[in-house]
Amino acid sequence: MVDKIIGISKKVIQLIFVTFLLSIIVFYMARLAPGDPLVSYFGEGVERMGTAQKLEAIEKLGLNRPIYEQYFSWLSNAFHGKFGISYKYKQDVLSVIKDVYINTIILGGLSFVLTFLFALLLGIFCAENEDKLIDKAICKIGTITTCVPAFWVSLLLILIFSINLGLLPSSGAYAIGQSKSIASRIKHLILPLTVLILNHLWYYAYMIRNKMVEEMRQDYVLLCKVKGLDKKRIIYKHCLRNIMPSYITIMALSVPHILGGTYVVEKVFSYPGLGTLCFESAKYHDYNMLMVLCLITGILVVIANMAAQAINERIDPRMKHDRGEKDWNNNTAPGTLK
Amino acid sequence: MGNLLEVKNLFVSINTKEGELQAVRNVSFSLKKGEVLAILGESGSGKSILCKSLLQILPKNGFIKNGEIYLEGRELTRLPEKSMNKIRGKEISMIFQDPMTVLNPIIPVGQQIMEAVLTHEKMSKLEAKKRSIELLMTVGIDYPEKRFYQFPFQFSGGMRQRIAIAIAIACKPKVLIADEPTTALDVSIQRQILDLIRELQVKFGISIIFITHDLGVVANLAQRIVVMYAGKFVETGTTEEIFYDARHPYTWGLLSSLPDVDCDNEFLSYIPGMPPNLINPPEGDAFAPRNKYALRIDYYKEPPMFKITETHSAATWLLHKDAPKIESPIKFKECRVIR
Ligand SMILES: Nc1ncnc2c1ncn2[C@@H]1O[C@H](COP(=O)(O)OP(=O)(O)OP(=O)(O)O)[C@@H](O)[C@H]1O
Ligand SMILES: [Mg+2]
Repeated sequence: MVDKIIGISKKVIQLIFVTFLLSIIVFYMARLAPGDPLVSYFGEGVERMGTAQKLEAIEKLGLNRPIYEQYFSWLSNAFHGKFGISYKYKQDVLSVIKDVYINTIILGGLSFVLTFLFALLLGIFCAENEDKLIDKAICKIGTITTCVPAFWVSLLLILIFSINLGLLPSSGAYAIGQSKSIASRIKHLILPLTVLILNHLWYYAYMIRNKMVEEMRQDYVLLCKVKGLDKKRIIYKHCLRNIMPSYITIMALSVPHILGGTYVVEKVFSYPGLGTLCFESAKYHDYNMLMVLCLITGILVVIANMAAQAINERIDPRMKHDRGEKDWNNNTAPGTLK
Repeated sequence: MGNLLEVKNLFVSINTKEGELQAVRNVSFSLKKGEVLAILGESGSGKSILCKSLLQILPKNGFIKNGEIYLEGRELTRLPEKSMNKIRGKEISMIFQDPMTVLNPIIPVGQQIMEAVLTHEKMSKLEAKKRSIELLMTVGIDYPEKRFYQFPFQFSGGMRQRIAIAIAIACKPKVLIADEPTTALDVSIQRQILDLIRELQVKFGISIIFITHDLGVVANLAQRIVVMYAGKFVETGTTEEIFYDARHPYTWGLLSSLPDVDCDNEFLSYIPGMPPNLINPPEGDAFAPRNKYALRIDYYKEPPMFKITETHSAATWLLHKDAPKIESPIKFKECRVIR
């Protein structure tokens, strides 16, 4: 129990440290990048402003001070839960994010779950039929799909399903005024989800296929066959469990990958979410907004990695023991355990 | 008495990039109930492939090319996978060389034994568990109730082999194939595992096919021995016949590695050269190029099996009536090999 608490506190400290580091990097990078933050605040109006006016505006936004000073004032505000206002929306950053984050969670979450589910099923199917015609065909097609860029597929799908057939909407997360309508949301999700899943599916399915094929050559599979188990049972009961830990690690590590994909696809489909916001804030030097979005994304990635480790330890008994619990062999009397 | 297992003219091949590798070539043998048959031969002679073909658990690129396998009169090579699964573990079972990798690392050993029991027998989980614990006890694992829940990595190599044996005999198979079960273990543990196998053999009357390349290992265990070379049987006989009256030069070579053998022949203390490539097996006797006693005929004509006694035969032209008589170079210092 004490071990557990120490373990968790270690992770929390790690998380805080990483977040802190990330905030410094993003803060500096954003400000060092070329561009004019006033554009996002005043829009087109900037062009009509005189130099004095500009200086005044910059001073008002606190952008004239050295970057480290700006950073410390941002940090102390952040500790009080104030992340500043968005230059573009002229609103508190958090309230802008609050309005759209759920859209990203829906799109990203669904694509994450579905991609990995389909990849698993497809990968196992291929492994089961290793080197048969169907497996070879799927492998060929799969390789092609990974070469096609997401935005191109998006445009193609929009062209076919939105413009030519008129079946599905090409942008937005729901029809205007229907944010509560599930049907409307689903309709808007189909195209971006399809793009996202197609984009990532084979990459992971192929990984599963190869891991499974390799796993099926392990010695213990031979003993399973000798027992009289059928192939399906060997695959699902034995091999799958053995490759699950590494798959879950991959899943967790791929959170940035999928999230990045989601951000791009959001942009193409003008889907109101964190991705679209991210693009805008980076484009318009909306510093405060960018900062919070980067931190959220970063923290998500770190937490995902930690979760992967925790889950792995539950699945694979050896990992727990590697952390110092005493391994024991036949020379230790089992009676002394517990 | 009828034969439990009968193999007739078995050919097994493996498709490789270089071509078809003929791993087992025209092998026939039989196994009686309760008999222990040892298959001897150096690495690569096709012992494992032969045994895997009996259970049809060959590697993906391997296949039975020809021949028949009868288990109590029932032909196995043409059985569908489903019926074969009823035979695996229930009628014929197998243990392997490397106990470190043969158990699934992330499933408690008890469950792995239970699975074997439940695959073939209708019983409740609780009964199966009881049975598994008994099995653990049978193979000499202490504290079986506790050990039941442990994972393979918590056991030593010798104990893992015991567990593999427990899995293999879980459904009281009629035939147990032991593919070099002691090779990966250190000497003192080897002894224990051999004793265990012998004990189980006597207790359950299982017929055993024991693969090894160490003659000493099987001396006390096997009633009959076959010697395999380059996918073929070159000599078969009772244990006594092979030990004291071996006729094939290759068998002499194997015998000469025994500590109790006085070998007056330097060439035999090890067998020089390499086994032939089985993708294009040589014409004539495959052993000829490595055989100091090879005759000219050996290089172009394959020797048939010459019968020496009812149980003993060997495939070497040296046994032909016109061949020069060659004295076996094998002399035992004392008769300690066979108890
Ligand atoms: N999966 C495989 N792919 C290709 N060739 C194989 C494969 N398995 C075995 N072989 C070949 O088949 C022949 C017989 O191999 P086998 O494993 O039966 O030898 P063995 O007598 O059991 O040797 P060992 O004492 O080393 O276990 C060898 O020439 C080997 O190279
Ligand atoms: Mg072998």
